[in-house]
Amino acid sequence: MIAWTGKKTVEGIAYAADVLFLSYLAFKEFLSPARRGRSEVSKAVTRQILLIGVGSLPVIGAMALMLGLIVIIQAGLVLPEVGADAFLAHVIVVTVVRELGPLLTAFIVIWRSGTAIGTELGFMRVDQEIDALEAMGIHVIGLLVMPRMIAAIVSMICLTVYFDLVAVIGGFVVAKVALTIPFAAYLTEIEKALSMTDVLITVIKSGLFGLAIAVICCHHGLSVGSAMTEVPQQATRALLNTVAACLVLDIVVSISVYL
Amino acid sequence: MSEAAITLDHVSANEGNQVRVDDLSLTVRRGEAVALVGSHTSGKGLTLRLCAGLEAPESGSVRILGVNPAVASEELLDLRQRVGFVFVKPALINSLSVFDNVALPLRYHATLPEAAIQDRVMARLVECGVEDLRDRFPAGLAMGDARLVALARAMAMDAELLLVDEVLFGLDADELVRFRKIVEGYRKQRTLTLVATFSAPTRLFAMMDRLVLIRNGRVVADCPPAEASRVADPMVRDFVIM
Repeated sequence: MIAWTGKKTVEGIAYAADVLFLSYLAFKEFLSPARRGRSEVSKAVTRQILLIGVGSLPVIGAMALMLGLIVIIQAGLVLPEVGADAFLAHVIVVTVVRELGPLLTAFIVIWRSGTAIGTELGFMRVDQEIDALEAMGIHVIGLLVMPRMIAAIVSMICLTVYFDLVAVIGGFVVAKVALTIPFAAYLTEIEKALSMTDVLITVIKSGLFGLAIAVICCHHGLSVGSAMTEVPQQATRALLNTVAACLVLDIVVSISVYL
Repeated sequence: MSEAAITLDHVSANEGNQVRVDDLSLTVRRGEAVALVGSHTSGKGLTLRLCAGLEAPESGSVRILGVNPAVASEELLDLRQRVGFVFVKPALINSLSVFDNVALPLRYHATLPEAAIQDRVMARLVECGVEDLRDRFPAGLAMGDARLVALARAMAMDAELLLVDEVLFGLDADELVRFRKIVEGYRKQRTLTLVATFSAPTRLFAMMDRLVLIRNGRVVADCPPAEASRVADPMVRDFVIM
């Protein structure tokens, strides 16, 4: 049991070190772009923003609307019963903007794009496409990992802001059928409840989630060997590890800022 | 013709935990066409990857076009622009069209303006007889067509050294004739060093200057094609005589 725990701990540390090293290489590539391949890298970043960000808008919008509706209806109906209707805006800011917005957006991006990143890179490895890129003198981190990392960070920040807006405003508009609070008063309360720190932390969390999603999924995709059967295995591991990483990051940021 | 394009000096290399190339020495001169011949497990594929600098040896030294591939990455990237590699699987980028696949190394290394890239790519596609496929994606190509596109991509940067893994794989009789004409055409135009691997006897040996027979990661014979039938080793003759 002790040996098993020790082995798993060492494996965990080695895994975290690999992921952090890949992040470092991708950031290094971003901060000191090589003289080669700038136009191809720009095209790759744009393509990934379209796939990860723009492609997720409908599903994020629908999820945000439904979540906003549920939270606003429940809070709007329960809080007046306990004489706390003045806290509706606070409840929404705390649950939706601070926590659920970034987390649910991250989960949707993981399920939709994270698995796609892991699977695509895995198949590229099996089909020797990555070997071919190396053989052509094309920097694999620069062309495959860094664009996905930048696109995931940018997309996650934009999608979280979009999620929060749709959940807070759209949710209220739909819930208006069941509630009697005036829209203007609701918006004023939200504005009062929402601090600059909330916005900043939401953006930081989203950026960190985007980084974790891209780098962990790229790491697993590139870890595929030569067998086709390794692709779904690595994609599943990528999904689980990314969800865990996002939750850990969320807890760390929330504790360091709000406690 | 005398300068070495590739030098493998007492090179050993592993695949997983298994030694696949064992103290192998090989010199290929510039402009030479060399066939590495042997079974699928002989280590010739790994030898070819060593010749491209895609694998690092466990021991021994490798020099490719005068460059040690173990050097700093920037010099290695320059070297790789001078080396074309055709993999067993065509290894075309599935998200790019045939045209964009061939244009990829040119665009990435930004050696030419876009108009010149378009001309160069079309020229390569026409030479390989796959110009009609320019807008198709790799998933929709037959294996032979895909390998000819891979050849066009390998030659897009006007490589000085062309390495082809398992030439016979996926090519039908017509495509093999076309492959031979393409490579001979390139060799007439410029000094092109060719190293290709084979797992079976073929008439393409006639275009080679040397046959290097590899078994268990070691060179067992190295001779011109015409002299191969005189090699005493019966396994060698199995691989050479049609």
